[in-house]
Amino acid sequence: MNEQVPLLELAGARAAYGPIQVLHGVDLKVHPGSVVALLGPNGGGKSTTMKVCAGLLPLTGGELRLAGRRVNGMTAQDAARLGVCSIPEGRGVFPNLTVRENLWAATGTGARLADLEEAAYSRFPILGERRHQLAGSLSGGQQQMLALSRALGTDPAILLLDELSMGLAPMIVTQMYDTVAQLVAEGLSVLVAEQFARVVLPIADTAALMLHGRVVASGRPGDIEDQLSSSYLGG
Amino acid sequence: MTTFLTFTILGLVLGAVYAIAASGLVLTYTTSGIFNFAHGAQAMLGTFLYWQFTYGWGWPAWLSLIVVVGVAGPAMGALLHTLIMKGLRETADVTKIVVTVAILLGMVYLSQWIWHPEDARIMEMFFGAGAKIEFGGVVVRVHELICLVVAVAVAIGLRLLFTRTRVGVVMRGAVDDPDLLRLGGHDPDRIAMLSWAMGSTLAVLAGILVTPIGGGALEANQLTLLVIDAFAAAMFGRLRSIPRTFAGAMVLGMAATYVMAFFPTEWTWTGNLRVSLPMIILFVVLIVLPQDRLRVAAVRTRERYRPPTPRSAAVWGVALVAAVFLLALLMDDGSITTFALGMTFAIIALSLTLLTGYAGEINLAPLSFGAVGTIIAFHFGVTGSGLASRLTLWGVLLAVLVTAVVGGLVALPALRLRGLYLALATMAFGVFLSNMVLRDTVEHTVFGVTFSIFPNGTLIVPPLRVGPLDLRDPRTFLMTATVLFALIAVGLAALRAGGYGRRLAAMKDSPAATAMLGQNLVKLKFGVFMLSAAIAGLGGVLMASAGGSVAGDNFSIMASLALVMLTVVGGIGYISGALFGGLMAGVGFTIMVATFNDLAVVHPSMETIYKTIGQLLVVATALIGMGVGENPSGNVHKIVEGYRTLRGAKGLLAGAAAVEAVLYVLALTGVVGNWWFAILTVCLAMALPVAGRMRAEAPVRATPLELAGLDEPYTDELRERLDRELGLPVRERTAGKEASVHAAA
Repeated sequence: MNEQVPLLELAGARAAYGPIQVLHGVDLKVHPGSVVALLGPNGGGKSTTMKVCAGLLPLTGGELRLAGRRVNGMTAQDAARLGVCSIPEGRGVFPNLTVRENLWAATGTGARLADLEEAAYSRFPILGERRHQLAGSLSGGQQQMLALSRALGTDPAILLLDELSMGLAPMIVTQMYDTVAQLVAEGLSVLVAEQFARVVLPIADTAALMLHGRVVASGRPGDIEDQLSSSYLGG
Repeated sequence: MTTFLTFTILGLVLGAVYAIAASGLVLTYTTSGIFNFAHGAQAMLGTFLYWQFTYGWGWPAWLSLIVVVGVAGPAMGALLHTLIMKGLRETADVTKIVVTVAILLGMVYLSQWIWHPEDARIMEMFFGAGAKIEFGGVVVRVHELICLVVAVAVAIGLRLLFTRTRVGVVMRGAVDDPDLLRLGGHDPDRIAMLSWAMGSTLAVLAGILVTPIGGGALEANQLTLLVIDAFAAAMFGRLRSIPRTFAGAMVLGMAATYVMAFFPTEWTWTGNLRVSLPMIILFVVLIVLPQDRLRVAAVRTRERYRPPTPRSAAVWGVALVAAVFLLALLMDDGSITTFALGMTFAIIALSLTLLTGYAGEINLAPLSFGAVGTIIAFHFGVTGSGLASRLTLWGVLLAVLVTAVVGGLVALPALRLRGLYLALATMAFGVFLSNMVLRDTVEHTVFGVTFSIFPNGTLIVPPLRVGPLDLRDPRTFLMTATVLFALIAVGLAALRAGGYGRRLAAMKDSPAATAMLGQNLVKLKFGVFMLSAAIAGLGGVLMASAGGSVAGDNFSIMASLALVMLTVVGGIGYISGALFGGLMAGVGFTIMVATFNDLAVVHPSMETIYKTIGQLLVVATALIGMGVGENPSGNVHKIVEGYRTLRGAKGLLAGAAAVEAVLYVLALTGVVGNWWFAILTVCLAMALPVAGRMRAEAPVRATPLELAGLDEPYTDELRERLDRELGLPVRERTAGKEASVHAAA
């Protein structure tokens, strides 16, 4: 694949909730096989950026490109079919469906249920034990494992992770990011938004710092890490 | 034993039909989160269609079955979803309820228009009533067997669909998180449309099966209510579980037949009990079954209401009284009586403004509370006889008090309920009251006292007399009702502006947060329910005495639903909405239909056209109700908003007032007729906001404060404007600049 064409690219992207503009021209590139960490404090526009990339929120300006092609106005269904797998903030599971039914619902993009089950249960054996339990009655970590399982079996081109660490114990968070690191080793591209930079910087190739709806800095993780404390604390 | 078995089978058959109807309801609720009150009406419409094909046009039964169940049913559901239900996301419970209620009413009006209600229509059982099979002494008709088989097939089919197919699993996920479905590559709208199509088909199927069992006569209202009985069955499964819904349906069906079979024949109320049993069961199930916990996060909805200040409410109240007084001068006694009736309905509608608009609780049976007040006033508040009989003030006060207590009693078990569940509980109470109490025309003897609650089916309620104020004169009645409406309205505005009103608003927005602030939710709900019931009771007594007499039908659940719908259309959070809803529900229909019927009599050549327009208008009213989803804050408010552009246009307003005054004088002196006056006034009222918009051409809209500086450079002027608007002390800009220059130097 041509290294010059990013898999996912935002150019001057603007987005708004009703009259309130949230993104004021975001520029972001995710190259094939790379991990981009989107960092920044609350209200910086990280989750909004993720929603735009997943097709849940339309752009009001700028461009969204997938593999170099302009895809402004695509729906979330289109995005999913094009290989964008997005794990939303909070728990990306249906609480009133069982574990197995959750995986079944994840096959909307053409994957087979058997493959998905195989991939999920071998990676997270606990899910296999609880396949007939309601997802809403799983622990927070198990729910996040289930959400991440969608990325395992559907063979996406790019994975969007929003606040994977939210409300989870540090040990579980480490386990989740180990899984993500393995996926990356297998060649998946990842865009991950994270408020707690420390857990994600080790696996990131590039880091981008978002403040007030703009990417204010991007570069190697080490360089960005130095700027973090000042921007988080508003210094 | 054989009798018992026979009735058990009959109960199972009835239960089977309930189960088919209820499962359709559960299907649409689980996938779209909308409880479809129009489910019964869909069944009714489908059944009428089937009757038309088979009996009206003589098609073979199998062909009409295929066309109605296979094509018309799914099409109706899919159409409803595409046109209406899709637009109901992020609206309050009351909006969702009212839209489906509007569809219900619209479908009933439509069917009564197409199929005239006075013609008799009979539907035979499949293979005729004579086709029977005998099992060990128990005779079962083939039609009944078909009902059982269809129910079992539906049960198994739905079970398989929901657990063994992907589309079924996705349907169950749709209500949790439609966005997540999108991320998985599904289309939630298509899923929802499919479920609406299936739900509608099940409703139609239930309607066709149940009609011959219930005697075979087709009647729009009755058939609609029959399927509404299935609500109780759906509630057994808490609107989620299909197996429990089926179990509930069987309990319901068997209870109904056993009551008929084994209650002593001398109990005169058995028939009434049989009819209202599903609603009693619905009420009990609602209260006994555990409810969803309070949601912690406030629900964000699209409705926005600006509460009026007591001062502006008082000004508007005086304006209303003056306008009504002037209008009354134009009218003859008959019209004044009609107008007064509408005003009493508006008072009942005010009880909804308080309960639903301010406190966010839903009551679908306001007229039932009015009925309670009327019964008390009739039994304990009348003195004298014949033309000299009058209501006493004490009688009215007693009626109001008792209604408040009854309201409290109804609310007491319902206090744990919220939103939809509360709406269903009040509806159950309303239907129960119409069936059990308002049809109770026979005499009872209890403890040596002989009485009947609703003698002869009508109550003669004379007008009120307090000292010199005698409401026998219609003009006095109208003015008294208007003044009362204005007084209650101002009182409500004052209530809303005070601490109590703020507590109600807090409860409406987030019950959990209100509880955490230390408010006693139970006490709040209880109080507001009693107050609202008292207002409805007062309105009910006045309504009964405005008409002179009332029948049980005046308080039917359909009338209540129409009142609730029209009040929400007008704007449930506004007093103007109550005025609109009351006048429209009370007399609007009558006037519209009567006007066009009169026109039809006067111009016989145009008869069909005028009659059609009259019917169309009635159906159109329901269409407005369906439009609530587009504009959930109410239509009256929207019109008032239109007048805001005229604020600065003193000349235009004065000119319009002068034109209106001239029109009024012309009407008063008889130069122009009342109709011309009304039409020209409406034209003037509609034209004014348009003129206002034209005057304020291309309005220079200042950026709202919170958006300032987002799309433009953040200048010093902007900063000064912000400081000024926020009331911050003026900054010494030049001095500061000089200081910084010095520092730099």
